[in-house]
Amino acid sequence: MTRTRQLKHFFIRRPGLARFGVIVALFLLWEAAARWWIDPMFLSPPSKVVASLGALFETPRVPAALQLTFFELAVAFALSVVIGLTVGLAVGLSRFGHRSFMPIILLLYGIPQITILPLFILYFGIGAPSKIAFGVTHGIFPIIVTIVAGVQNIKPILMTAARSMGASRWQIFRWVIFPHMIPSFFAGMRLGMTGVLLGVLLAELYVSTAGIGYFTQLFTQNFDPTKLLGLISVLAAMAIVLNEIVRRAEVHFGRWRTG
Amino acid sequence: MTTGDVAVRVRDVSHQFGEPSDKQHVRALLDTSLDITRGELLCLIGPSGCGKSTLLNMIGGLLEPTSGTVDVAGKAVRGPLPRDIAFVFQENALFPWCTVIENVKLGMVFQGVAKSEQDGRARKSLEAVGLKDFINHYPAQLSGGMRQRAALARALSLETDIILMDEPFGALDEQTRMILGEDLSVLLAATGKTIVFVTHSLGEAVYLADRVAVFSARPGRIKEIIAVNEPHPRKPSFVTTEKFSNLRNTLYGLLHDEIRKAVEQSAAVGPAL
Amino acid sequence: MSPRRELRSKLASRAVQVAFVAGVLLLWYLGTNYWGISPILLPNPVKVWAELRDVLATGEFWPDLRVTLTELVTAFAISCTGGVTLGYAISRSPFCIKVFEPLLAGVYSIPIILFLPLYVLFFGLGPGSKIAIGATISFFPIVLNTVAGFGYVDKIFVTAARSMGASNIQMFWHVLLPAALPVILTGLRIGFTVALLSILGSETLASLAGLGHRIVHLAEGMETARMFAYIAFAVVIAACLNATVSGLERRSKR
Repeated sequence: MTRTRQLKHFFIRRPGLARFGVIVALFLLWEAAARWWIDPMFLSPPSKVVASLGALFETPRVPAALQLTFFELAVAFALSVVIGLTVGLAVGLSRFGHRSFMPIILLLYGIPQITILPLFILYFGIGAPSKIAFGVTHGIFPIIVTIVAGVQNIKPILMTAARSMGASRWQIFRWVIFPHMIPSFFAGMRLGMTGVLLGVLLAELYVSTAGIGYFTQLFTQNFDPTKLLGLISVLAAMAIVLNEIVRRAEVHFGRWRTG
Repeated sequence: MTTGDVAVRVRDVSHQFGEPSDKQHVRALLDTSLDITRGELLCLIGPSGCGKSTLLNMIGGLLEPTSGTVDVAGKAVRGPLPRDIAFVFQENALFPWCTVIENVKLGMVFQGVAKSEQDGRARKSLEAVGLKDFINHYPAQLSGGMRQRAALARALSLETDIILMDEPFGALDEQTRMILGEDLSVLLAATGKTIVFVTHSLGEAVYLADRVAVFSARPGRIKEIIAVNEPHPRKPSFVTTEKFSNLRNTLYGLLHDEIRKAVEQSAAVGPAL
Repeated sequence: MSPRRELRSKLASRAVQVAFVAGVLLLWYLGTNYWGISPILLPNPVKVWAELRDVLATGEFWPDLRVTLTELVTAFAISCTGGVTLGYAISRSPFCIKVFEPLLAGVYSIPIILFLPLYVLFFGLGPGSKIAIGATISFFPIVLNTVAGFGYVDKIFVTAARSMGASNIQMFWHVLLPAALPVILTGLRIGFTVALLSILGSETLASLAGLGHRIVHLAEGMETARMFAYIAFAVVIAACLNATVSGLERRSKR
């Protein structure tokens, strides 16, 4: 077999490795483009970005801004889960509640919330509360919707079987509805995390007088793509890690669904 | 059975999936040889995984055997032969986005039939299978039996000498199978085509076929070929005759142990296969 | 549930919904007229309505609406053509699908709006950066759905067409495309919705024109009543656009 065919056969068995190769290739392309083809005023190569991460973290108030953002994400997510779970269960378990409130919830879910971001800042100020609030409003809806679906999609035959064996309402909830709902709950949490990330980061980017928004504004106006890319990369990494945590939790707890 | 020249010649065909070192290596067929006479209806019957569908796909040019040759109408098979061979599959191979008549016409578009001829041929074959009133329906609106009639109409409209049918009634219930089998016998008697028909059903094989090739369990080879000397079209009452029962019993005797063997094979390999 | 109880339950739910909306409006009215909430925070609903009528009557909204819609259409056109083309290319090889689909899905899972400052650095505060971010974000659902659509066409259709002698072009036009179309159309609808949200969002964050910018401008000028009017306007426009696209999707799927 020729060398190229051997190479092809090697990669075909290992798509993970090929994926890694693609990522490496993209980074190399970025490096080359930033070094030789694009004006350094607009783009920095990854090598430079990584090298100056230290300087970025030494810039006064940058680490504090990042920590605050992470704090806002955590709090907003926790609140979203608590509120979303409560509302989701309340609406999902009651047929009347579902009929009355689900249309309202779906209507609110469909509104482009970005249009009311200035209102949130007006009401809650430029500090953490407004970011957390905006994150919560983005996070609760997917959680509510998935939990309602999880509760409602229980096959009636399972409920009938439990009732025929004499289960009480609490027992049915504890042993039939609740376990059935867990995979949906974790799926909802995954979508909720995506929502919280979007909400908190949008709010942060909007407020340009403090926090992350201040620095993105500063680095943009100073035409400092190195620090800007560094900041964005750190935030992106934060998002990836948080997403991955929730995704793994979903895979782990949703196992009975897929076997 | 019309004596005549050989329509399909299969010689020493073996087939394996994957390399011997692979986990999923399967030897599907081993040294199979077969002559199919023009105008006959030959059934291939055997346990699951014995390679009968594999052989059918090789005759039709959808699969190349790892060793051996297949000749159709005198020429070696190297790929699909849309002018010589038409398929009827078990699964729903009707395109769901086309109506019944559009489906039949599309087959002719692929084959390269002139546009002016397509409509006439389509209507003729749809009428022949009894779907005259359903030509503008979508497959989703039809029952399983009617969908397979439409698939048959599509194959007939291609006006090939050979039709290969891979368990066409496999997904249908017993009663529909019975009716379709009777109608198929009448239809095919009129057209004189060469048919190769894969089935799991003993009764179906005896009812429809001129000859029945019985396969062994994997790796499949033809254990025996039984002749059914009964003129076409077969009458529904054929099923109640002693001759039918005897033939069916013969098949049962040949197949029963092979089926057991095949089930043990698949249990040993595990659910992944 | 018996039919009568069913009907009563439906009416009761409807009543709850009406009461909810009425309650919110009532609280709003009382809050501004009687409970002394500052008009800068919560404007009088009557005033908001008056401002809305003024905006609509004078046609003041046109320049901003035009900017937003132009950005939207341009961004969507780019992500559409790019996404479908690349999606088709990837779908041709199962290996490519296995390699690229998770990568694309992974990138889509982070808030890509993070890259807006970089685009502003490149393209400035004008429509260029909005179009760029809109196209970037809406690219992903389109390409992912196109890969799914073309990549998972039921093999039996391809086999049947091949057995009937279909050429590659015939295979694409008569089999692959119709089979993949429903999934692709869904991707286009999602892409459109996401493009609209991204553009409104980027106009809010960093822009000189457009509906999102107008709302921010009014907020900074403390013209809360007019801002509410524009928010309502933007929400209605978004709802109409999304409903149209959803309707088109449903009709094309027949």
